[in-house]
Amino acid sequence: MSTGTLTTAPPDTGGRARRRLPSRDSDRFVYVLALPVIAILVFFVLIPMLATARTSAGGAGFAANYRALLSGSGAHALLLSIGTSLASVLFCGLLGTLLAVLLNRFEFPGRRALSVFAVLPMALPPLIGAVSFVLLYSETGIVPRALHAVTGLNPGAVSVGGVAGVVLVHAFTMYPYFYLSVSASLAGQDVSLEEAATNLGAGRFRVWRTVLLPMLTPALVSGALLTFMMSMASFTAPQLFNVQTLTMEIVSARTSGNAELAATQATGLSVVSIVFLVGMRWYQNRRVHRSLSKGAAAVRRGPSSGPARAAAGLGSLLLTVVLMAPVLVIVLVSFSADGAWTTQILPPSYTLDNYLQIFTEPSSLLPVSVSVQASLLATAAAVLVGAAAAWVVARWKLPGRWTMDVVIMLPWALPGTVIGVNLVTAFNEPGASNLGLTLVGTLWILPVAYFVRFVPLVFRSTGASLDQLDPSLEEAARNLGAGPLRVLRTVTFPLVLRGVLAGALLAFVDGVGEYVASVVIYPPGVVPMSVEIYNRIYASEFGTAAAYGGLQIVLILLVLFASRRLEEGPRRGRSRRSRRDGPAGSGSAAASALTVG
Amino acid sequence: MRKIVLLVASAFALAGVTAGCGISASDESNLTIYTARDKGLAQNVVDAFEAANPDYKGKVRLLTLGAQEAAERVSAEKGRPQADIWWGGTQQQFVQSAGAGLLAPVPEAVKTSIPEKYRDAQGRWVAEMLLNEVIFYNDKMLKPDQAPKDWDDLVKPAYKNKIIVRDVAASGTMRSIYSAMISRKGKDGDPAAGYDWLRKLDANTKVYAANPTDLYLRMQRQEAPVSVWNLQDVLLQRKNSKAPFAVVSPASGVPQLLDGVAKIAKGPNSAGADAFLTFLLGQEQQKKLAEEWFQIPTVKMDAPPSWLAPLKLTEMKVDWDAAAAKENEWITHWGSAIKNKG
Repeated sequence: MSTGTLTTAPPDTGGRARRRLPSRDSDRFVYVLALPVIAILVFFVLIPMLATARTSAGGAGFAANYRALLSGSGAHALLLSIGTSLASVLFCGLLGTLLAVLLNRFEFPGRRALSVFAVLPMALPPLIGAVSFVLLYSETGIVPRALHAVTGLNPGAVSVGGVAGVVLVHAFTMYPYFYLSVSASLAGQDVSLEEAATNLGAGRFRVWRTVLLPMLTPALVSGALLTFMMSMASFTAPQLFNVQTLTMEIVSARTSGNAELAATQATGLSVVSIVFLVGMRWYQNRRVHRSLSKGAAAVRRGPSSGPARAAAGLGSLLLTVVLMAPVLVIVLVSFSADGAWTTQILPPSYTLDNYLQIFTEPSSLLPVSVSVQASLLATAAAVLVGAAAAWVVARWKLPGRWTMDVVIMLPWALPGTVIGVNLVTAFNEPGASNLGLTLVGTLWILPVAYFVRFVPLVFRSTGASLDQLDPSLEEAARNLGAGPLRVLRTVTFPLVLRGVLAGALLAFVDGVGEYVASVVIYPPGVVPMSVEIYNRIYASEFGTAAAYGGLQIVLILLVLFASRRLEEGPRRGRSRRSRRDGPAGSGSAAASALTVG
Repeated sequence: MRKIVLLVASAFALAGVTAGCGISASDESNLTIYTARDKGLAQNVVDAFEAANPDYKGKVRLLTLGAQEAAERVSAEKGRPQADIWWGGTQQQFVQSAGAGLLAPVPEAVKTSIPEKYRDAQGRWVAEMLLNEVIFYNDKMLKPDQAPKDWDDLVKPAYKNKIIVRDVAASGTMRSIYSAMISRKGKDGDPAAGYDWLRKLDANTKVYAANPTDLYLRMQRQEAPVSVWNLQDVLLQRKNSKAPFAVVSPASGVPQLLDGVAKIAKGPNSAGADAFLTFLLGQEQQKKLAEEWFQIPTVKMDAPPSWLAPLKLTEMKVDWDAAAAKENEWITHWGSAIKNKG
């Protein structure tokens, strides 16, 4: 268990100490809390999702279906999916981590704006979000045309396509999974570790290599898992760039009416994702990445000289524009007249008609309300269940811990349509497996679907924060006489709050944009925003579709601002208080006091 | 902590303010329609239906979704159907669903108003219209004499990198067009000649578009001038979005697909479904749809739509039963051995 890194608590002593401690009822509390969480997961996730595995044994038969998956074009598609997903993880990881480090550790002009915009690419609406990449990088896109105009390069030579295109779209839309978890982790790190390493003579680079990056492992693992699974289940990007991944084969099988083969392929997809999950968990568990303390946030370093500041400002502006480009294109389209933009680099004429049309049509804002409400409800439930499940998994000492991990992540590994169909099948007729609960056709089906689909986000994000937290903190609080609930409330929860919030943010944003499952389940009269966008596109109202997309982006921007206030508000207050009163009172101050003592 | 509670509470309050409109409870007297038709078209028909049948005023609930999603929904809801009508889908989708026991016969009068070749023998689905699959081009990029005249022109070297195709495997329409091409070239069910033709077409295809919108967009933005798609959508694009699309009338004819409508078995409002089908497939509605929405009705009409004759389209003879039986095999082969390899 020699880690070679500067973790604060030697893990084996921590283990011995835990066993010695009289924490019986705390242990029991894990299992008490586990009961309702497991019940909810089995009821809403496991039983419905098992339907896919069951279906995969039908049709031509179990053996024939899986032979088709593992040979010929099926095998090729599977390998292609795995390859593009690994590449996506690599690029998302680089982009997201660099961005998180840049924004959390350095001060430069434009930093605050960039830190709000950094999550916005997640808000790209379905369908037009993908189209915006075509408008940017395809042969007739803005970038190749602009390059052609400036340098005379052939647009075909600089356009992006094929696997590179898929990885590009994935990198620019999925890096927030890394960015948010790494940011949460960096904010939860104790600077004293770095200071200690520096005092011991380590250079800047060595501190990063041996202290900071290893401590980020849980966050990186969480980001990698979410990105890998999402890339595996991604369909629009492969279709847009014509890459024959397994999801393309699934859609093809469904279109041809072979539901059993499609189920086999979906099962294969989730098995790969689960193997990846178990592998990553194993990798993470080889080392302990815990910190006993929650120190003050690191001071941000910034360029001191004038030219350096200007260069940094320019750099951050450039970075913001590149990251925001797909979002900006949608805004651009929403203000341009339909069909006018043909061979020009940018739209030639602009109009407000698209927005006027939305705001003057009766009940055209209803979809916005539907999506917001369903996502809010789902996020609230996902926070409760996901955070509790993360804590239970982190503190679980009996066998079966990874099973729970796998069960929660299952909906993230399956394509959206499959989840939608499974939920409809499971909650349509009253029966034994759903305890008589019918949700199809009611208002509850949308929040339930978003909950099932997005609870993995809160779970992973909270789990990453918990993995950084040493259980001895909780034990110390217990020894000081706090009950299990009080420990959760005053020690654990405040220390993982940023992780929970990051997950909740992801869940809400993804909920507002969800399309593939929504369209199979939405009840009459309750149209979610993404379905409305789809309808507008197919009614050849591309401009109004983009205007809805614009509304969605504004909405998510508002949420991002609010969540930033939420994160910064308490922290500012706390640091003021601790400066005044010394380390006492609030949860994190108590934690620092414990470390000192 | 208090701040969080406050924020969450205010968020819910905001949600509450916007709530409450347009949400109607489930009710036996409602009529629920899943449609893959253009939203404007479907709403137009529903409004006319409500005007003609005041009993259903405000009770028709229209859900717009893709044909494939409609098929998936109907199949997933088999145990307790939520909708009464499924309006818009390919022949193959309806045949499959009818075979799975998901569809119920339409009223006898509706059934007999439609020629037998355009419907299920038991009337579990009927074709509402014929879809002509045509070649079309961007007339800002090509002059009429530069445009392809027939299907075989598409595989000539002159059209290298001049063709955009909507991605085939995920589209019922494209699957049918490609199957028709194989069936047209094949002798005695041997697809080799058809495969060869499609390999040449693949070599000329510059890009596969992800969805119809992507196709229209790439055509309008002049990525390539030529494509194949159904006539109705092309004409609607030209009319509603001022797209610069011109239609070719191929010398060897156009494949004709059926697009149907069906009554869902054990739907909540069987009588309402019958009333709607009777209304939709009546002369008056079909005439309106034909003139205003470029539909070619299957019900016998006094005169064909006025816009159709000038296009001078002829039907390509395709053995659709044989093609349908082989479609999966052919398209799977195309996907693994031909696409991107020509």
